[in-house]
Parts: sequence; structure tokens; C-alpha cells
Amino acid sequence: MSRVANYVVAYEATAQGRESLELGIALARATGAELRICLVLQRLSAAPAKIHAARSDYEGLLADQATQWLNEAAGWVPNDVTASTHQLWADSTSEGLIQAAADLDSDRIVVGAARGGILNRFTIGSVANALLHASPVPVALAPSGYRAPAQLTRITCAIGTRPGWEALLDSLVAFTRDLDLELRFVTLVEVDAAREKQSPAAAGSTAHLDAVLAYYQRHAQSRGTITTEVGAGKNVEDAVEALDWRPDELAFVGSSRLAAPRTIFLGITAHRMLHALPVPLVVVPTSARP
Amino acid sequence: MAQSSAPRPTPVSTSAGGLSAKGLRSGSVGLLGATVIGISCIAPAYTLTASLGPTVAAVGTQMPGIFMVGFIPMLLVALGYRELNNAMPDAGTSFTWATRAFGPWLGWMGGWGLIVATVVVLSNLAGVAVDFFYLMLAQVFDNPGLADLAGNVWINIFTCLAFMVGACYVSYRGMEATKMVQYVLVGFQLLVLVWFSVAALLHFSNGTAFDALGFDASWFNPFLTPSFSAFAAGVSLSIFIYWGWDVTLTMNEETKDPERTPGRAATLTVAIIFVLYILVAVSALMFSGVGAGELGLGNEDIQGNVFAALAGPVMGPFAILMSLAVLSSSAASLQSTFVGPARTMLSMGHYRAFPKRFAAISPRFQSPGFATVIAGVVAWGFYAVMRVLSTDVLTDTILTLGIMICFYYGVTAFACVWFFRREVFSSTRAFLLKLLAPLAGGIILAVIFATTLIDSTSPDYGSGSEIGGVGLVFILAMVLFITGIVLMLIMRRVDPAFFQGKTLTKGTSRDAS
Repeated sequence: MSRVANYVVAYEATAQGRESLELGIALARATGAELRICLVLQRLSAAPAKIHAARSDYEGLLADQATQWLNEAAGWVPNDVTASTHQLWADSTSEGLIQAAADLDSDRIVVGAARGGILNRFTIGSVANALLHASPVPVALAPSGYRAPAQLTRITCAIGTRPGWEALLDSLVAFTRDLDLELRFVTLVEVDAAREKQSPAAAGSTAHLDAVLAYYQRHAQSRGTITTEVGAGKNVEDAVEALDWRPDELAFVGSSRLAAPRTIFLGITAHRMLHALPVPLVVVPTSARP
Repeated sequence: MAQSSAPRPTPVSTSAGGLSAKGLRSGSVGLLGATVIGISCIAPAYTLTASLGPTVAAVGTQMPGIFMVGFIPMLLVALGYRELNNAMPDAGTSFTWATRAFGPWLGWMGGWGLIVATVVVLSNLAGVAVDFFYLMLAQVFDNPGLADLAGNVWINIFTCLAFMVGACYVSYRGMEATKMVQYVLVGFQLLVLVWFSVAALLHFSNGTAFDALGFDASWFNPFLTPSFSAFAAGVSLSIFIYWGWDVTLTMNEETKDPERTPGRAATLTVAIIFVLYILVAVSALMFSGVGAGELGLGNEDIQGNVFAALAGPVMGPFAILMSLAVLSSSAASLQSTFVGPARTMLSMGHYRAFPKRFAAISPRFQSPGFATVIAGVVAWGFYAVMRVLSTDVLTDTILTLGIMICFYYGVTAFACVWFFRREVFSSTRAFLLKLLAPLAGGIILAVIFATTLIDSTSPDYGSGSEIGGVGLVFILAMVLFITGIVLMLIMRRVDPAFFQGKTLTKGTSRDAS
């Protein structure tokens, strides 16, 4: 592949910004992609009442400060990862990030998702939430307190039974090309707590997983073991928690069928998954880039 | 855009292509938008309720005439402002302009004047909002007793605190009113003010006016004011009522046609404001007269907030619309005005004219966090002290405000003349706009400043509050100036870099930069 992939890292000088950068580093280490650390400055639109154009002065100072923040961020990037920093103005942070991904021809946007979440779980911040409803490229969400592991050892792909999962698999195939790591396909099933684990729903899921596995193996060029698993629980959150999760793994999930072509729209199930998920999550648009 | 290929170091590049490198959204504001912004900056409903009373107290029936001449110094100074803004677009405050022209000492005081003026107006805005808040509650629940709650000092001070905290929080979060909200607020204000005027005139013609005063063309003659002191006080107040208009003149990059839109918008804004002010001033005079009776404009008890007293008798059951108009106008203005002192303090912190903490920018909201909180705390503290000391806090703060605006506008006008001194004779245009207009404006403001300052020593000045036989307004102005000078000297000792010209250098327009 001649083109070197690059990821937009949504940076701000806060804990969330740091988590985003750490996830960017983890992904870049795995795939050899470059990082584009982007800090979006909000364009000032309101008229400053009574007071004279104090805004132009402020703009310059804000830009200086942003440069300092970005330099600080660049200092955290380890030697084995290539990164550049970018500062841009936009009406909103999410709009700026989507624009940056287009202008920089980026393969994904990495963002610190958490805002005051508890127990390392996700509580979606407004920027991440906006991206999850509009981004044309996959969005990677870092959980609260995330730090890049030396190496990713496993990817878990959550597959739904509804049409459209091929787009998710295609994205996964592209991501795992030539990588040596474990791959786990899971489906989540809500079961009545009283019933046995091998319910008809779970059995149907197992059959579906076989189909998914066959599709993946036809296309994939990755090395490493592939497993399948069914997560069952009385609701989505329980089903996620029924599975084991490693600190150095990554989860993939697709978009809702409600999404417009080539954009993300996080479905209800995926949304609920997020609440229980302790690892970073990559959300893939309906029809990923070729 | 620099991009690295080597793993180290990670270079800093500028903007991503296709995005504006600057924060201003260029070319998005048309004539109507710019005019709305101008009117919104002036906030006419708030401005009129706060200034009608003090103006009548100063010049009586000559109010319409004073409103007209009062625009002249504002226009002259604003022309100079525009030149400075074009020459130094990256330096947007009186602080940086005055420092560039006159060096650190006057520059510091210019910045101080601006901060003090905005902090004082914040306290006045919040005070007016508190009055109208309780008035509106009284109107909604049809219980006049609720309006009297605003008269309780402690309830008043703590309600004001609540408003301040709200406005401060919104500014800190960096939230801004959308254009649509601004359009609606401005349209509503204009509608209600015209309604008020027409209703007042109808009362006059029906013979139901409070103290009917026949219209007289001589009201428009500003030279019939009883004394020069009265004239100066009137002009000082007029500068307050047009304060904010100059913003339209400097909206270059944002407008669709930077050559013509700002000028046209400024003209249109001032035309609308002119008609509105004259209409309201004349109709209020014809309805209320200038006597000291219950609803007379000369009544000291209602002078600080005239519409609160007049809206009911004039508009009847629709008076609640006036409450809504003034409340929304002052609340919106309160929030947007917070931005001004906060950014000036941040800029002063950056150039080490203020302690470094003031330069802190919130990484999450990208707002001047520390400076915004300080502006809120100081404005509320100022209001609380005034509420206790003064018999009519709103009138006295407005008069103090007039003095402060005169000061920092004056400093900026002279800064313009001095900064451009090497090129003023290069063309007729330069001579008119960079020398004559700002110089004349600056001199007028200096005279008004000196006159009002001297007059304010009298214990009768303003609301008649005094300390030891000296008028409260004078003491207030002196305390504010001396505090500024003391703080400046302390800052000079603690961190002399700014005062040695190391952070922001003095210069003229012809220096190679």
C-alpha cells in the first residue's frame, strides 16, 4: 500500500484530549498510520456588546495558546509514532474535525469520548456525540482514563444480525491487514434471565456468527487466531459485561441502518453497549471508504 | 502545511487547508445583519430606561436636542477607532492601542478605564434586570407587592448575584446567542418602544397624560440648556446611550461587502436609533413632564429606571411587554458585555500588565476563564457596595459610567492622533479621519470629562448621595482611578517587564513592524 494512512486526533488540553491522543498512539502503533493532532478553535460569532472589537486581540492570544497546547501534545507522542499538529477554526468542534478529516484525507477520527464518566466506562461528551451522528469516516472513542498499551492484542467486533454488517467487516479487513492479533466476533443477545443460556436466540446468533466468520476469512489478510462468542444477558449492558475484556483490546461496531450513506449513526444497541464497555470503540459508517 | 516524515520531531503546522485561519467568519454578515448587531450592541430598551431620568435631571426639556448633539463626539471618536482598527487589526482593545501610541503608563490606564466602565455597566445592567424581574413577577401574578421586593436591599443584592452568576456561567462556557435570537430580541425591543411612545402620545391627546406638556420645537435646541455644566452632563449621558454603535464601523472582515456594508450599517443603525430615541424622549416628556411628581421624569425615585414606573400607566395591561423587552435586552446585554472586560483583562495578563493568571484560557471552553470570573465578582461587589451606599444606585452608576466612558474613549481618540502623527498630512482623507475627527472628539470628551468631574464634587450631583459633603459620583470616580493607579504601581514593582516596554512596544504607524 503506497498511501500511508492517517488519523485525525481530536485534541484539547484536557483529560479527554489526552485520552484521545493515547488512543491515537495505540492505533498508530498497530497500523503504522500517522497522527494528525487537531485542535479546533471555536469561531467567535457573537457581537461584543458595547466594547470595541476586543475580539481580534483575543483571537491572536487564543491561537498562541493553542500552539502551546499542541506543542505539549506533540511532546507526549512516543518516538515510534509519526505525528503532525494542526490548529483550525470552525463554528463547532465536531464540524471542524469532520472538515479536517476531509482536508487531510484521513481514515478515522479519534476522540476522547468520556465526560465525567465513572468506573472507566463511557459517558458520551457532546463532541463525540455529534461525530457519532455525522462523521463520514470511522470514529474511535477513548474511554475515560485511557492510556496507550505497548501493543493491541485483540480486536473484538460486535456484529448485529441485521443487513449491513458487511460494511463493518470490510472496514475491519482494511484495519487488520497484515496485523498479527487475535480477533473475536461477538453477538449480543438479550435473554430472559430465567431461561437457559442455549436459548433459540443464542443458537440463531451462533449460526449468524458462522456466516460472518466465513465472510471474513474469505477477505481477510490478517494473522492470528479468530474466535467467536455470544454475549448473553438480560439487557445489552449485561451482555457486554458477560464477556471478558482486556485492557489492550479494541472493539468495533457498525452504524445503525438509519444512517445516511457513508455516515455514522450510532444505533440504540451500540449506544447502550457504550455504557458498559471498558475498552476503546471504533464506530464504522454504513459504507466505509473503499 | 508542513507534514513530517521523520518520526521526530513532531512539527507544528498551521491550519488545515480550506478553513479560515482566523476566527472571524468572513463575508457572512449583510447590511441587515450588521444593523441588527449594531442595535443589539446599543440595547436601546435598557439604555433608555437607564438614561431618560438622569438626562432630564441634567437638561430638562432639552433632552431631545442633547441626544442629537451627544452623537457628535461619539461619531468623531468612532472614526478614529476605525482607522486604528484598520491599521492594527490584530490589536483590538483600547489597552493595546493606547500602549502602542503612548507607552505603558497611559496604555495601562486606558485599559483600566475600559475595564472599569464595563464592570460598572455590568452592575447597572444587572440592577435594571433585577428591578424588571420583580416587576414582571408582579405583573404575571397580578400582585403589586412582588414588585416591592426589588426595594429590599438584601433581596435585591442576592437576586443580582444570581443574575451575575448566570451571565458569568454562560460567558465562561463560551455559549453565544444565535443570530436568530438576536434578531427576535432587537425586533421586539423596537416594537415595544414604538408602542410605548404611541401609547404615551395617545394619552396626551386624550387628556389622560400624567402631566401633559405641550410639544415645543425648542426642545431640539441643545443650546437652551440652563448651564454649561448641565450641557456637559447631558453629553456625557448621550455618550452612554450611543455606546456600542461604533462596533458596526469596525466590522470589516465579517461583512459581505467590507468596502460599503460597515458604513451603511452604521448609518442605518444610527438613523433607527436617532428616530427611536427622539420619539421616546418626546413622548415621555409629553406624558410625564419634568416635574418631581409621582410619574414625573424629575422624580428621583423613578429616574434610575423610568420604564419600570411609566410602563404600567402608559401601556396598561400590555406593560408586561415592556418588562419582557427590557429584561431580555438587559439580560442579553449582561451576558455579551461580560466578554469585553474579560478579554481586555486576558490581553493585559498576556502582556504582563496584569498578573499572569488573568491570561489563563479555559482549555475546554476556550474562554478567558479566570478573567470572566473576576469580572463577575468585581461587578457584583461594586453593585452591592453601591446599593448600600447610594439612595439611587442606578442613577449614580450611570453618571459614573459616563465619566469612565469619556475617559477611555478620550484616551483612545488621542492615541489615534498620536499613533498616526507621521502620516496625517499625507492626504486630505488622512488629515480628516486620523487627525481632525479624533482630535476634535478627544478634546470634546476631555472637556466633558473635566467638567462633569468637577461638578460631581457637589453633594447635590446625581441622586444626592454624599460622603462628608462630597458627591458620591465624584468619590466613586476618584476611588476607581486611584485604585487603578495603585494597582498599576504595584504591578510595576511585581513584574516590571510590561512597564519597561518589553512586552508591547511603543511606536507610530510609520514604524516598520
